[in-house]
Amino acid sequence: MTSLTFSPRVPVIDANVCVGNHHTGPSPCQSPVQLLEEMDFHGVERAVIYHAQGEQISPTDGNEYLEDWLDKDGRLIPQWSVAPVETSMEQIAELHGRGRVRSVRMHDCQSAGLPFLPWGYDDLLTFLSDAGIPLWIPLMDVETDHLVTTFKAYPDLHAVLVGAHYTHALVVRGLLEASSRALLELSRYEPIGAVEALVERFGAERFVYGSWYPRYAMGPILFYLHHTRMDEDELARVCAGNVERLLGLGEGS
Amino acid sequence: MIDGTRVIDYHGHVGRWERYGMVDDPELLLGAMDAVGIDMACLFHIFHPDGTTGNDLTAQFVARNPDRFVGFAYVSPTMPDRMVPELERAIDKLGFPAIKLYPPYTPWPFNEEPWHPIYEFAQDRGLAIIFHTDHFINSRPRYFEDLAPAYPRVNFVSAHCGNVPEARAEAIAAAQKYPNVYLETCSTYRTPGVIEELVEKGGADRVLYGSDMPLMDPRPQIGKIITARISDKAKRMALGENAARLLNI
Repeated sequence: MTSLTFSPRVPVIDANVCVGNHHTGPSPCQSPVQLLEEMDFHGVERAVIYHAQGEQISPTDGNEYLEDWLDKDGRLIPQWSVAPVETSMEQIAELHGRGRVRSVRMHDCQSAGLPFLPWGYDDLLTFLSDAGIPLWIPLMDVETDHLVTTFKAYPDLHAVLVGAHYTHALVVRGLLEASSRALLELSRYEPIGAVEALVERFGAERFVYGSWYPRYAMGPILFYLHHTRMDEDELARVCAGNVERLLGLGEGS
Repeated sequence: MIDGTRVIDYHGHVGRWERYGMVDDPELLLGAMDAVGIDMACLFHIFHPDGTTGNDLTAQFVARNPDRFVGFAYVSPTMPDRMVPELERAIDKLGFPAIKLYPPYTPWPFNEEPWHPIYEFAQDRGLAIIFHTDHFINSRPRYFEDLAPAYPRVNFVSAHCGNVPEARAEAIAAAQKYPNVYLETCSTYRTPGVIEELVEKGGADRVLYGSDMPLMDPRPQIGKIITARISDKAKRMALGENAARLLNI
């Protein structure tokens, strides 16, 4: 039964939150306290966060700025930006050596001319595959055909495809079929009935809730997921269980 | 129905656009509507410039579930001789209560002369018109400031509320100046705080929930209203009370 107020029925981890100011302008969320308040308002327990500077400017700087956003309670889970360049790879290796890397997120190199293909990403993808570190990939920053080619070249790579939009409607199924280790983050995916159809085809374990806050509001997709035909177990997996498994998060970690 | 409020989705489509996952299967629409308590949806078909073809398809679609769907008339100034006769047919014979216009499918900004026969028709009948609005030249919400005072019996609805901040500010400014300008909420840009901004600056009595279904699922779009930091009273107005008043239903 829908009412004028909403709160989630299951534990929730938001798998896609951006923190800090993007180079094009200030974020509406300026502090960890503000972010935690937003999460509390929507019933989100934990969030996977990356820094805006890591998207298109500097993954290494973005990762340094990210440190300022980490809270002592562990509700904000760091996601480190990465690019297939020496400085970035060294930084990730160092963080990994200290046991701090649960996931990484791809910096946009395509707009600088580097396609997401094995010849440009082999060292990075071999490292991530061997270490079992999942890679978040914004779909707006890669060519679909390159993704399929690269998924097939690195079958052990765990990936989360971020930001699918209705303009990706023709490619989403093909991408999920190209790698059984690829999951789809749902912040923007709104074709009518699509979530139910995809869950029926691929299983709930292939999807994760993310909002991409503050680019998009935190609540609407969470509300949507609670009003689909998914049963409670499937809902719980999409809202938190799948990302917990992927990141190796135990209860309370 | 949500907590006693009849919910009306003010923005939906008839027609198929499979490359974007848009399929106008009534069961798909009704299933999504029922899952969140949407009672009625306003639908229009914008893919045929003659108006007649799409309006007939809309009427057929609505006729299968007349208690759940309301058809709006669509015409295009690219076929100027057909505009007013088709509006007369769609309103008088098909029984549509309002008009939808889509400026991106024409060469003209919607305040220019080729559109005005539509506005004169709507002024005579006292009809509402919903316009696609965005930040491109044909669809700027600032044009409502030309039209709203010139056609005071027409209610002008800014679909998507301009989509992006610059255009949204134009829509809000027009709503602040003129009582016959309304702000419709559907957008693939679900920017935080937008619903709050529309209610605070434009007024809760001007906000209309819309989804753009079946291009988009109505559930995340109605989720924008439900999860916004606005009063229950404002939610009820946006979800259905304003639309019911506009449509006299």
